[in-house]
Amino acid sequence: MTAVLEQPTVRTEPRSRVGEIWRVVRLHAVTPSVFFGIPWIILGAAWLVMIIIGIIAGAAGADTVKMGEGMRYSWAVLSPQWYLVAVGVQAIGLTMSFALGFGATRRDFWLGTGLMFGIVSLLNAIAIATLVQLEKLTNGWWLKVSMFDSLWYGQGGWLVDFYTTFALQLFVLFIGASVTTVFLRWRMRGMLVLAFGAIALALGGVAIATLTQSWPAIFTWFGSIGVVGVFTVVLGLALVFAIGGYVVIRRATPR
Amino acid sequence: MTRTVVRASGLTKRYGSFTAVDAVDFTLEENRIYGLLGRNGAGKTTVMQMLTGQIFPNDGELEVFGRTPAEHADVLRRLCFIAESQRYPDAFNAAHVLKAAPWFFENWDAAFADRLVHDFRLPLKRYIKKLSRGQLSAVGVIVGLASRAPLTFFDEPYLGLDAVARQIFYDRLLEDYTEHPRTIVLSTHLIDEVANLLEHLLIIDQGRILLDRDADEVRGSATTVAGGRAAVESFVADRAVIGREGLGGLASVTIDGRLDRADRVRAAELGLELAPVSLQQLIVHLTGADLRAGTTEQEVAA
Repeated sequence: MTAVLEQPTVRTEPRSRVGEIWRVVRLHAVTPSVFFGIPWIILGAAWLVMIIIGIIAGAAGADTVKMGEGMRYSWAVLSPQWYLVAVGVQAIGLTMSFALGFGATRRDFWLGTGLMFGIVSLLNAIAIATLVQLEKLTNGWWLKVSMFDSLWYGQGGWLVDFYTTFALQLFVLFIGASVTTVFLRWRMRGMLVLAFGAIALALGGVAIATLTQSWPAIFTWFGSIGVVGVFTVVLGLALVFAIGGYVVIRRATPR
Repeated sequence: MTRTVVRASGLTKRYGSFTAVDAVDFTLEENRIYGLLGRNGAGKTTVMQMLTGQIFPNDGELEVFGRTPAEHADVLRRLCFIAESQRYPDAFNAAHVLKAAPWFFENWDAAFADRLVHDFRLPLKRYIKKLSRGQLSAVGVIVGLASRAPLTFFDEPYLGLDAVARQIFYDRLLEDYTEHPRTIVLSTHLIDEVANLLEHLLIIDQGRILLDRDADEVRGSATTVAGGRAAVESFVADRAVIGREGLGGLASVTIDGRLDRADRVRAAELGLELAPVSLQQLIVHLTGADLRAGTTEQEVAA
């Protein structure tokens, strides 16, 4: 005899939403090299290069103070960021397909992935901001090397460095992840529309700014909001990508 | 009393102008082993992807455990589907897969999984992307068995497995199914290998269901009649012919439907040989498009 299930199934054991999201975080963390190991190896290698340059310069009797000032313009501190865009891409492109096979919903997967991004950004921000202070404290690792204390870092204290790194890190991860959701949902056609749309939007912005001669006003505005203000804009963009990705992924189909 | 686990009606999936699954209707009952059989590209994987919420149907209705599967956590946590072309994160090895599995399958049996790893000689520390086809299949088989999900899908589980491994899969599946009954859907084109395992058959071809019947009913339901052409033709004249071969004055015709005692006596009188048709042969007859076209023509002529 056959009985049709009319009511939604009754849960056999209570299972909280939090658990279903947290297991996605754990899934990402099963291979810690991806989010933590490789970025810090890249950063460590960059640091080693800077240190060796510092030792060579010191041994050659060069002006290490000037060297340190020059190093402030090096992007070494940002070296893991390119890799982390790829991590964002793979988190969606490969791990999502796997998680769906294991019975996760797209919603929980995106929320869990976002939470993982948040944790990674938080830890990286604490580490980088602390390393900036350490570098200043040790006078450039006793070699006047300026790797972390560079670009906008080291000017506004630990909290500013923490906040800016956190914002940048979230932005980098979410841009890779959310663009990949577009690919999963609409494949190549979606990517082309997205690319041309972004280019058109950028050109349109440039055209408006140029035609209305508002470039000076824009630069003044950026100047007035300062480093913290600029990174608040970055954080806002990260949030836009996070929300956009959530909307798109709900009907995305893995290959 | 059996419960209906899956109910599909008019289920359709199109990719552009290509219709991968064309308005199929079927139901799956609780605690049975189903065979989803058909040729490559028949739509087997597409059906399973819809049932597990991985892709969205274009049309029709689909209920799994009482509701649409896609994005419903309470349905999805009762399913297990490791696709034949399953993708894994780049840095994953089999140990990572088995470590994560219990977080997603509440009935996961780690000891059973360990035993299967040993049985299949699966290297746990090798990257998934470095595994051979058979080892990759073993990963899916181990997850599928040890998950003990109320609705488990095996997508081409035999792909690349050696004879010993296939036998292990067969034995372990039956043992574990007896102890922990659940609904199992097995998709394959290697039919005779699994024939004895299956309780119900769904044969799919070009996105349509050709046959939806109990395996016992299907076994022995078709017969091949061989002998002199004229005698064979007279014997099969008013029967459903599903396959036809001939060489000179000899003919061999496969007919659907059981033969009763009188039929057998008559066949013997005509000097005809009757042979049972294996599941695989039956499916070749049912899904071999060219054969079917030829048969229709001849039937019209007859």
